[in-house]
Parts: sequence; structure tokens; C-alpha cells
Amino acid sequence: MRLWIELVVSGLITGGIYALVAMGLNLQYGLMRILNVSHGEFLMLGAYLTYWAYLVMHLSPFVFLPPLLVGLFVVGLVVHRLCFRRLAETTPEVEAFEARSLLVGFGLMFVVQNVALLVWGADLRGYQYLAGTVSIAGVGFTANRLVAFAAALVLGLGLIAVLRATLLGRAVRAMMQSPTGALLVGIDVRRLHPAVFGVGLALAGAAGALLSMVFEISPSMGEPYTVTALIVIALGGFGSVTGSLLGGLLLGVVEAIGMHLTSPSLKMVLSYGVFMLVLITRPNGLFVR
Amino acid sequence: MTTPALAARSVVVRFGGLTAVDGVDLDVDDRTVVGIIGPNGAGKTTFFNALSGLVTPASGRLFVGGADLTGKPAHVFARAGIARTFQTPRVFADMTVAESVRFGLEFAGRRRRAERASLAEVPAILDFLGLADSAALPARAVTPARQRLLEIGMALATRPRILLLDEVAAGLTHAEVEKVARLVHRCRDELGLGVVWIEHAVAVLLDAVERVLVLHQGRKLAEGIPSAVARDPLVIEAYLGDGAAEARP
Amino acid sequence: MARRGLAAVAGGAAVAAALPWLLDDFLVSLALSCLMYVALATSWAMFSGATRYVSLGTSAFFGLGAYVSAWTVAAAPWPVVIAGGALIAAAFAGLAGLAILHLRGTYFAVLTFGMSELTRHAVTYGEKQYAGTVGRVLTVAPSSRTVYLTVLAIAVAAVGVAVVVRGSRFGLALIGIGADEQRAQTLGVPTRRVKVAGFALSAAFAGAAGAAMAVRWTYIDPTAVFNPFIGLQTVLIAIVGGPLSLTGPLLAALVFSLLAEFLRLQFPYAYLIALGILLIVAVLYLPQGLAGLWQTRARAERPTAAR
Repeated sequence: MRLWIELVVSGLITGGIYALVAMGLNLQYGLMRILNVSHGEFLMLGAYLTYWAYLVMHLSPFVFLPPLLVGLFVVGLVVHRLCFRRLAETTPEVEAFEARSLLVGFGLMFVVQNVALLVWGADLRGYQYLAGTVSIAGVGFTANRLVAFAAALVLGLGLIAVLRATLLGRAVRAMMQSPTGALLVGIDVRRLHPAVFGVGLALAGAAGALLSMVFEISPSMGEPYTVTALIVIALGGFGSVTGSLLGGLLLGVVEAIGMHLTSPSLKMVLSYGVFMLVLITRPNGLFVR
Repeated sequence: MTTPALAARSVVVRFGGLTAVDGVDLDVDDRTVVGIIGPNGAGKTTFFNALSGLVTPASGRLFVGGADLTGKPAHVFARAGIARTFQTPRVFADMTVAESVRFGLEFAGRRRRAERASLAEVPAILDFLGLADSAALPARAVTPARQRLLEIGMALATRPRILLLDEVAAGLTHAEVEKVARLVHRCRDELGLGVVWIEHAVAVLLDAVERVLVLHQGRKLAEGIPSAVARDPLVIEAYLGDGAAEARP
Repeated sequence: MARRGLAAVAGGAAVAAALPWLLDDFLVSLALSCLMYVALATSWAMFSGATRYVSLGTSAFFGLGAYVSAWTVAAAPWPVVIAGGALIAAAFAGLAGLAILHLRGTYFAVLTFGMSELTRHAVTYGEKQYAGTVGRVLTVAPSSRTVYLTVLAIAVAAVGVAVVVRGSRFGLALIGIGADEQRAQTLGVPTRRVKVAGFALSAAFAGAAGAAMAVRWTYIDPTAVFNPFIGLQTVLIAIVGGPLSLTGPLLAALVFSLLAEFLRLQFPYAYLIALGILLIVAVLYLPQGLAGLWQTRARAERPTAAR
């Protein structure tokens, strides 16, 4: 029993991070058809900036979180302006746009990851933050993991609340269903797209900040999270942000239990296997509504 | 009794819970022009997609020249002699007009050399359609009306027995529509084709076809010679408020 | 056109074949990596350039070829090893193609990427379970000249086949699928068969290249030979060169192997940053690749010359 509680709770904690990454990626793909494979690199960037703020400026990760979100939001605006705006203008056909934006994403992945390697080197890094142990139902967890999970949940639910309760959020959701809806509600897509891209990166950065409190970080840490986010989106439904939250938590738990029951080296085989199976058999239910 | 060139028997096509085509029968012989009319959403194009093998019917059978092709992929239908156009012209944008026509000759047309000797060369097809002067232009660069003709040319290059025309007259001027109708008749008379012609604007079609089939909400509402169908109260009712006003100039 | 192209290929190949006797080791290894990317990018463009099914799975085929080589090189004659790599990769691509080639655009790209990662992890797992180790040391290997000439032969074959395919009905069918797949099918193209055959044919060259290159490294492990970077760099070279042209990818392969050799050792990160930027710039500003540059110019000059 103790073991199961431990597995579920630690699965939920990783799952919360997965959910944040997947929600940002899903928002970008659902609204703009940009499958941004460099998403995980911005998670890594968030982790490194948080680490740097903690070591150099002695800022607690939570104090640094708001400026980090704003910073990555601005980075998102810039990236969108430099790369995707022109692409959207020159490539009206959706299929070609998707393929090309995917390649641009790979380009960004190379650039961001290697800039990080150039600046910070390839070593693993980490810092101690809230490393004390808290006990839940007789099982001990380090405080930073619980705090990270709570923060991920707050951010995820907050995003869903914004999407459901505000007019702009509802417009975004409407447009994820049908792009022509934007014209009907009179939303300026040229402003909205960069902003939503920025929100996606901010969420990735937040996930990175939370990760850096718990795990060691390295410039190549982002890529697996991009892949996991793709799996989560395939499971939870492309375009469904709530699906990503639930899918992320679910995947975290399934992974934790699955790794316990089988060998850890099977983990990647299983993740990719499930991912491909879902895409091959239910592409319309999951990629397209 | 001879086998019809194309025969559809109780064809049903479903998308999820929606039944787009619901038990439709159709016989088409060589050297005939059959029209299909119906209000928007009547299932006309979906029925064509079934006739050309692009969608597989949930039930029902499709026979081409007596052979049962139900469930076969579209290229098998093309090789059996079914050619079609699309509602919005789907030409190969980056190929020239001549290359686009050659495409059909190279694939289904090549297989059907034995069946049909006519229209064996690109220039012959372009002449037949009056497109010879556009031969070297990229398909994307010709006018929409000419793209429609090019689509027919690409279809003819497969050396078909049956030609399915999906709203080839939509959006054309009156004079252009007359030309299309004459072209359809030449396909029948000179090439011996069976033609099935879908059109939303009814008047054009009723004047040009020998037999007409009316689809409404996926079902066959009426079938017969145009003058009789036009007087059918069921048909008039189906069209009221939808196509009636625009269909009768 | 096809005949002139083949003549140019033959000429280029004759020069390339003499290089191991003329140049020092460093330049020969540079030429070798250039030839490898010629083979990979040309065969990639043969399928993905024409059909616009962007495959990120080249590393899976390359890696499979490399492992076939590692498993058989000590026991089988060298040509059999290479043919084995090509066949296994082609067979794998054929099977994978049957499962995933009904999905276009992003789905296909993501699935091919997933496929190569899945293959990598599956081989890692399999080697751990059954061989007990992850990497393999290749003790028996042909001479470096043999390897060079083999890779040259594969590159020449890739270019030659690409030239022949372009002039063939098969090539026309691939172009038709890229332009409008459904339309092509209604004109009589057996699209599924053509796609699977094209995908498998293109994979055969990647498999052969992997089989040949594996022995150069003497030690291989899944991380190295299934490196997604191999697939990405292949796509990059083909796209920067021009996915629809033959000479573009040749030129791009040359430029990239030069860049790689001179930058990668001294400034590995700068090299990859440059690659990333090039990829973005090529996608944004050169949709027809480098080949688009001289093609547009040729088109612009033609009317002037006629006057």
C-alpha cells in the first residue's frame, strides 16, 4: 500500500510537469498549427534561468517565476515574429505550413540547445531548495517536489480557467475548433497568434523552473519533454487543453507504475510504442477533431 | 439485355452517425447523359466519391462493365474506365497543361489502350477541348474556366468509358455553360461515353440530359426524363426555398 | 536530359574514385562524409521531395544498416553485408510504410521520427537482453579504400537511380502524389503501392550507407548510429539544396561536409547553431532550396536571351 501511494504521488508530480509542457505545446498547435518541437528547449531555458537567478541573484524560484514568465513570453513574441509570421504569410496551405513549421522547430531546437551548451557547458547542474522531507500518509516526500506539483497544478488550472471564463479565452478555444471563427468574433489574429505562442513558451519555462527545484538540469534535458508532451497531446487530444492536463497527470502515474512493474530500459520503447499506436490507429480522433 | 457500363445498387455512405447517401441506385449506359440534381447537402458529391472509389460504401454494390468493384481503391475504378472531375478543379498546379493531360495517359489511360483507341495523344485531347494554345502554360496560370476544361482533359486522358462531371458549369457565364453542354454532348456522340453530370443550377442540366435523377437528403427522390421530373410535386417541394429561385432564370 | 545527367554522374564518379590515391587521409575522410550525405540526401529527396511526405526516419534505416553490418561483417562477404543492410532497411521501410503512409503532413513527419526513436530504443533493449552489451566493437573490417569506394558506389547508385526515376512513370507517379494524391489516384495511380515502394527504395540507400559506414567507426552503439541528427541533417541538406532538384542536394552535401569537418571539431556548438539557423533561413526564404536560386535566374534570363 505504502509503495502504491509512493508510486501514484510521484507519478502525479512528474505528471504535473508533463501537463504544463503539453498544455503550452497543444495551445500552439491547436491554434496555429505549429508543432513546435523546440518546446522542450524553452523548458530548459526556464530551468537554467531559474538556476542562475538562484545562484547569482539569490532569488527564490518562486520570486523569480513572474519575471521568468514575462521574459519567456517576450521571447515567444520575438520567435514568432522572426520565424512563424513570415512562414504563415508565405505558406497559406495548411499541410505545407505544418511541415515547414516543424522544420523551423528543429532549427530552433539546434540553436537554443547549442547556445545553452556554449554558455553553460554540458555538465549537470543543480541547487538545493526546500530539500526537507514532508510526510504524507506515512510516506516521505521532499518539500520541493510537493511545492512543484502544487505550482504546476495551479498554473494548469489557472490557464484552463482563463480559457473558459474570459472572452478572449473563449475566442481562443473557438478558434482552436475552427479558424474562421476568429473573423466572426472580430479578434485580430495577427496579435493573438504571437501572444498565444508566447504563453506556450512561458508555460514551458515555468515547467523548467519547477523541474530545476527537483532535478538536476542539463542543456539536453528539453528533448525528452518535447517527446513526452507529444505523447500526452496524442493521448489527451490535439487541441484540448484540459485533455492535456489530465493526459499529463495520467501519463505520469502510468509511467511510474509501468517502470516499477517492468524494467526501466523498456520505458522509452513503451512510450514510443504507445505514441505511434495511438497516432496510427486514431489520428482523426486525436490529431484532428 | 446488355450489362450497363456503370451500375450502382442500393449504395449507402455513412460518415460517423450521418448517412450522406442512403440506398441510391443508378444505371448508366454507353452514349447517354444522365443528370443528378439536388439541393445542397443532398449527397451528390458523396455519391460521386462512391462511384469513383474514393469512399467505400457502408453497404450496396458498384459494378463497372459488369465487374463488382465494391470496396476497391480509386485507381481500380479509373483503370476500369471511370473518370471524374472535382467540384473545385484539382489540377496539378506546377505541371503544364500538356503534362497534366499526359498524366492520365500514362496511368489509367495506358492500361486502357486496348479498350479505347480514341484520344491517344495529348494534342488530340487538347484540340478536342480547345486548349491547344495553353499547352505550355503551368496549370496554375490558366483561367478557372480553362482549369475546368483541363480537368475534363485529364479525365479523358484515362480513356474512360464513363465520365463523372461534378458541377463543371458552376460559376461560369451563360455562354461558357452552353459550351460545356456542347462539349458534354460531343463526349457522348464522338467518344461514345456515358456521362453523369451533377449540377446545382438545375435549368442548365435539364436541357442537356436524357435522364435525370433527383437526390434529396441522401435518397433518390425521383428519376426520369427531365420534363416529367421537373413537374414532379415532390421535386418542386424539395427545391422550394433552396435552389428553385436561382435554378429557373 | 536523363542521358546528359547520367554522363555527368559518371564523370564525377570517375574523379571521386581516384581521390584515395591522390589526397591525404583527412581530405579522403572529408570526401567520404560528403559522399555519405550525397547518398542520404539524394535518396531522401527521391521520395520525400517528390511526394512531400517529409520523412525524419532516415536515421532508423541508416542505423539498421549499420547493425546488419555489425552482425554480419565477420561472417559474410562484403557485398552481401551491404546488400543485407539495404534489404533489411528497405523491408523495414516497406512494413512501416504500410502502417504510416496513409497519414500526411505533420503526422507522417512525427511518426517517422517516432519510428526511428522506437527502433533505437528497441535495438538498445534487444542488445541488452540478448547480447548483454549495448555497443559492439567491429574487429573485422575491410580496408578504408574499400569502404570509400563502396560509399562512392552507393552515392553514384543513389544519384543514378534518382535520375532514372525522374524520367520514369514511377517518378511521375511520385510527383503526382506530391501535387494532389487523390487526384493522382483517380487518374489511375496505385498510390499506396507507389508510396510504399518509393519509401522502401529510398530507405535501401540509407541502409546500404549505414552498413558501409559502420565499419569505419570500429565501435558502434545505438545512440551513435540511430542518432536522429543523421536524419535531420539529411533533411536539412536536401531542403537547403532544393528538395526537387538533383544538383542542389549534391552541392549542399559538399558544403555541409566541409562545414562539418572544419567547424565540428573546433567549435561543435557553433557548428550546430549555424546548422539550425541555416535550416530556418532555408525554410523561410528558400523554399526551392539553393537550386531555386539558379532556377529562378535561368528562368529570368531566358526571355532576355530569346529577344
